[in-house]
Amino acid sequence: MAASVTPVISVADAGIRFKRNRRSRRNFKDLFAGKKRRTRPGEFWALRKVSFDVMPGEAIGVVGRNGQGKSTLLKLVAEVVFPDEGTVKVHAGVAPLIEITGGFVNDLTVRDNVYLTAGLHGMKKTEIDERFDEIIDFAEIGDFLDTPYKHLSSGMKVRIAFSVVTRLEEPVILVDEVLAVGDKAFREKCYRRIEELLSGGRTLFFVSHSEKDLKRFCTRGLYLDKGRLVLDGPISEVLDRYNADYGTTA
Amino acid sequence: MSEAILGRPRGSAFSRYRHSLWLLTTRDLKVRYSTSFLGYFWSILDPLLMAAIYWFVFQVVFGRGVGHEPYIVFLLSALLPWTWFNGSISDATRAFTREAKLIRSTRIPRTIWVGRIVLSKGIEFLASIPVIIVFVLVTLGTPDPAHLQWSALLLPLAVVLQAVLTFGIGLIVAPLVVFFRDLERAVKLVLRFGFYASPVVYGIGDLPGWLQPWAALNPLSGVFSLYRSAFFPQELRWFDVGVSAAMSVVLLAIGLLVFRRTIPTVLKEI
Repeated sequence: MAASVTPVISVADAGIRFKRNRRSRRNFKDLFAGKKRRTRPGEFWALRKVSFDVMPGEAIGVVGRNGQGKSTLLKLVAEVVFPDEGTVKVHAGVAPLIEITGGFVNDLTVRDNVYLTAGLHGMKKTEIDERFDEIIDFAEIGDFLDTPYKHLSSGMKVRIAFSVVTRLEEPVILVDEVLAVGDKAFREKCYRRIEELLSGGRTLFFVSHSEKDLKRFCTRGLYLDKGRLVLDGPISEVLDRYNADYGTTA
Repeated sequence: MSEAILGRPRGSAFSRYRHSLWLLTTRDLKVRYSTSFLGYFWSILDPLLMAAIYWFVFQVVFGRGVGHEPYIVFLLSALLPWTWFNGSISDATRAFTREAKLIRSTRIPRTIWVGRIVLSKGIEFLASIPVIIVFVLVTLGTPDPAHLQWSALLLPLAVVLQAVLTFGIGLIVAPLVVFFRDLERAVKLVLRFGFYASPVVYGIGDLPGWLQPWAALNPLSGVFSLYRSAFFPQELRWFDVGVSAAMSVVLLAIGLLVFRRTIPTVLKEI
């Protein structure tokens, strides 16, 4: 399919800034100021001048120390925050495994929550009906279908959330270290599920500190340091560079 | 790796907007009704209790100096819409803070976070209309029965006007509260003031003459006059309705503008 090789994600000169502390002064004028204003004191750029394209089917690992903008980049790609400069374009549906339990309502039952979360990601009721059993089977919580979400254990909560989001059948999957939770067996199951999705031609965007996981899923790496994209290359090269910079081997 | 996966087929932007809006609205209603025994009755209990208080104060204590007979119908015909307005705006102050986690993880159009409040409260309002009908039937046995007028057909217009107005104000209030938390309390205060500044316990006609044109500047005056005309044709004031409609549209435009300009910052802050 040579003709269809247009990037599924294109990020061009993207930058986003945050306030350093919550109490810094803010007035009405700031709110309505245009995008092009300079950095004000008390603000810092979490990401700046980041550019890259992602082709369909690529598996990308994002590497960097804490606080270097990895999660922010993921949120930009998920389009849950907007860049202050540059552009982020995502040309396909995204299944974000970011704050996955966030959409679940404590007072509603598991069943209602599944329909709600999948529905918010654009699934129609009939589509959810078709996948419902599969979702519940994967999460292994068949007995708790009509239990209010708040009564589930934290492990179950993550399991059902993961199960719903990975059944969305979106072409792009974003994973932000959610898999650190849950028991070993379920984690392995999640990993197998991600591999399954990858071999089905999905595009993966993966943030992790685990070299093993990065090597397992990803072919290409993005190395973020101090808000800049330092290196964009094969995952092994990116990991070598990261280890060289910060002297870790684990 | 085979060909590119295109994902599930998607409807138009409008149908997706409607789908998400409806989903969140029904969720709101479901949560409200699954967590309480009285469910539906809570949404009419509040206006009913208030109506009882005002009826007692103005009818029994002061003797009726305002409104028309039957006063309870006069009162409820503006009190129920006021409950919708009041509930929507005070919930709009928490539109982003209460749902922060969910908003951080989905990318549906953000106006839905305000729209779902207006819609779910609106549905509760429509569901509370039978209360008025019950009181109308009760007054049939009294010397001053309420009569349904042809202008009751204006009800859809009133509902649309109020929805536009409430949505517009909600779009202004919701993002600003994220930046200025004090606004949440300020809004509550303004709402309490607004209750007496709007023709709920009285009619515009009860105001001194010089005040009446000014009262029209309150966009709720026109809206409530439409509702009231269902039983009290003398309450219908087309001038106020016109002012109301114009202000609602302007407020909606301002709301959309404010919302668009502030939403990138809101998403960073929550």
